[in-house]
Amino acid sequence: MNRRRDDGQAEDADLARRMRAAASGNGSAAGDKLRERFSARLSESAARTGVVPIEIDGRKLEARRGATVLAAAMKNGIRLMHVCGARKLCATCRVKITAGAEYLTPMSAQERLSLRAHLSLGSRTRLACQARIEGPIEAATVFPLCGDLPESADGGKMEDSE
Amino acid sequence: MRTPAHDAVPEDGAAEASPRDGEAALRAPLTRGDRAAAGEFYDSYAPRVRRFIAGSLGSFGTRQDAEDLMQETFISMAEALPFFRGESTLFTFACAIAHRKVQSFIQTGARRARLAAGIDLSAQATEQGGTRDGALLRALDAISPDYRELLHLKYVEDASVAEIAAIRGESEHAVESRLARARRSLKKLMGRRR
Repeated sequence: MNRRRDDGQAEDADLARRMRAAASGNGSAAGDKLRERFSARLSESAARTGVVPIEIDGRKLEARRGATVLAAAMKNGIRLMHVCGARKLCATCRVKITAGAEYLTPMSAQERLSLRAHLSLGSRTRLACQARIEGPIEAATVFPLCGDLPESADGGKMEDSE
Repeated sequence: MRTPAHDAVPEDGAAEASPRDGEAALRAPLTRGDRAAAGEFYDSYAPRVRRFIAGSLGSFGTRQDAEDLMQETFISMAEALPFFRGESTLFTFACAIAHRKVQSFIQTGARRARLAAGIDLSAQATEQGGTRDGALLRALDAISPDYRELLHLKYVEDASVAEIAAIRGESEHAVESRLARARRSLKKLMGRRR
């Protein structure tokens, strides 16, 4: 048993050595321009931390720090459903946080309860009406947006009645 | 002509990145946007981030693609750093951003057409393979990008399972079982081509 483990470790070490040797040429390039751009951009963005760059469904937006995800989305024309009026009841505003979940305010007991009641409590799902933005996040919407119902949803009745 | 780049980076990542205790000292001025700290951060982390991107991109993109991803990563990092609170190490933070850039690059499949045509990528692989560890390089080219990234983090960067999980946004359990599968897959590919 022990011998087998030793063999495995030796094999691992050998693989590590070979992979490092193979990757050894990949780290270098002249990047002084990028270094400059990076420093400039960093000092620029550090000067205005009241505004947070976020991404919803791949759209790059700016949100006020401390705003809820729902408010930031609505302000930028992404009309998330929020049937209960942002009272953490309906969970129709829920979004999937694909990156930066640690930059949202922690989940309250009620939010957790609501998500659990709607069978959608997971490590990445948040109620947009409750989670406040403290840093850059990436989120994806779960439900269709308001106004995005397919044309056939009204059954063509609007035209018929006229 | 590709630039011969073997001499600039030491083989094990130990020398270029500052040890973890130096990180806290660097983090405070970084989040304030101090330019000198930004330069220092760039100098100590850019080689590893570049190597990570090249390693997880593998044969999926050209050097130019890797360079583009490198730029995108650092610009995103410049926007995110002021909000960084030190939940993870700076390297994990950097790699998590690079990971997402590489993933979305791979997912868009913008280069699939070129891959299918087989231009210049296989040439690059054989050229490298001729002078160096051919079996391993060919296997790494053939393996799925997902596995390649895992193996790179584990063996080249010597990252712990917890760090890999943080970078990829997965559970440690998932990382462990994927790693085992990646190792098996690599072994199989190496055995077949030898």
